[in-house]
Amino acid sequence: MRLENVWLRYHRRGPWVLRETQARIDPGEVVVVLGRNGAGKSTLLQVAAGVLRPSRGRVTDRPRHVGWVPERFPADQPFTVERYLSAIGRAAGLHPEAADRAVDHWISRLGLTGFRRVRLPELSKGTAQKVGLAQALLRPPGLLVLDEPWEGLDAATRDLVPAVVDEVRAAGGSVLVSDHRGEVARLPGARRWTVTDGTVTDGAPSTDTAMVVVEVAVPAARVAGAVARLRAGGHHILRVRPDATPAAEADPAAGGPG
Amino acid sequence: MTALLRLRLAGFLRTGRALAPVLAGLVALGVLYGGGRAQPGEAYGVSAVVLFPVLAWQTKVLLDVEPDVQRRLAQVLVGVPRERLAGLLAAGMAGLGTVAVALLFPWLVGGVTGPVEPGDRSVPVGLAVGVWAHLLAVPAAVPLGALASRASTGGAGYGVAVLALGGVGAVVLGLTGSVAPWLAPPVMATARAAADDLAAPTAALLTAWALAWSATAGAGYLWRRRHRP
Repeated sequence: MRLENVWLRYHRRGPWVLRETQARIDPGEVVVVLGRNGAGKSTLLQVAAGVLRPSRGRVTDRPRHVGWVPERFPADQPFTVERYLSAIGRAAGLHPEAADRAVDHWISRLGLTGFRRVRLPELSKGTAQKVGLAQALLRPPGLLVLDEPWEGLDAATRDLVPAVVDEVRAAGGSVLVSDHRGEVARLPGARRWTVTDGTVTDGAPSTDTAMVVVEVAVPAARVAGAVARLRAGGHHILRVRPDATPAAEADPAAGGPG
Repeated sequence: MTALLRLRLAGFLRTGRALAPVLAGLVALGVLYGGGRAQPGEAYGVSAVVLFPVLAWQTKVLLDVEPDVQRRLAQVLVGVPRERLAGLLAAGMAGLGTVAVALLFPWLVGGVTGPVEPGDRSVPVGLAVGVWAHLLAVPAAVPLGALASRASTGGAGYGVAVLALGGVGAVVLGLTGSVAPWLAPPVMATARAAADDLAAPTAALLTAWALAWSATAGAGYLWRRRHRP
């Protein structure tokens, strides 16, 4: 899929949100869209997904089946999780039995089994976001567009996102992910588009040799053993520091009245 | 597209907001038929005029109950033309349901009578004319309601203004002697024709007028939605 000289503004006399955007994503590729809040990441993703039409320029070779996970799933709808997903599967063109199978699969995989008959407005933000993820995956997408997919998800589901991305990529699909929380490390090998004031810069892919920092808390009494095990595993220990949070909270001089 | 149409109809029927236009329609029909008995052609012609703004309002409510982001998801799912069409068809189907209630209502409250004098229409013919008058109101009201929907106007205030202008305009511009009757859908002209002897050419002309108005207003809605997903 290619974005050819795409410009976009929301109103005729409004400011340009995207300018001179030239970008390309090939089948089997993952691209992470980076940029500060308000830079135009969501707009770019919506243009790619086919939600927004460019004011100028065009988008070519968009795959026929697109899955879009919006930043906030619209939970204010009078359906249960199962009924909603089932209807979306059918609307996506799946045969009713195939739609039901896909719904069962994703409900189970995303840990929604206990919420199957819960109405959407009663879901927490994170659970509603899982429904948003499921609806985009019922029909295997040729392009999966994820707008801040880690936002509001629990740790287990956050870990599932890279696996889902890998599956779409392995099936020949493309994946476009926006990220402003630095979760890009979860997608090694992804190319990067950086959005700055409406312009998009196509960056180099992160390589398999890219390093990330993982902070691990261990009981003080077992720190020597933990460090030794990590070193034995080939990991590089940058530093060992005391856990500052409980100390700060326990310090009466830190937050007390002066 | 059928699945999306059903999803939207279900979303409309399951929210309490669907009740407001239906109750308003029933109250208006209650007032209409509370004034005395009339023959079906005449009664149904006026009923179609009364229902026109109700059907437009119902369309606006049906389209507005769907969250904006869900409407965009539907667009990604089925494509732009089908997303637009599914909304209009869902509103049309909801409108047909309301029309069925409106056609049944006068028989429940004793608001219609059979032929009184020689030469009056028989009940089946009067009923057929009434069905026709109501069916002409639906394709005219649906695009008006769509033009007033949030997806088209971008805000609640403009939507109410569009709805009010369309409803009042259909009556005012449809009065006998109007300088620009073609600007409005032919609900008033249809009511007059339904009360008189309805000739086939007149019925054909009114049908073509209603469909042309509907197509024009529908094109306006699609044009408004070009940059409003």
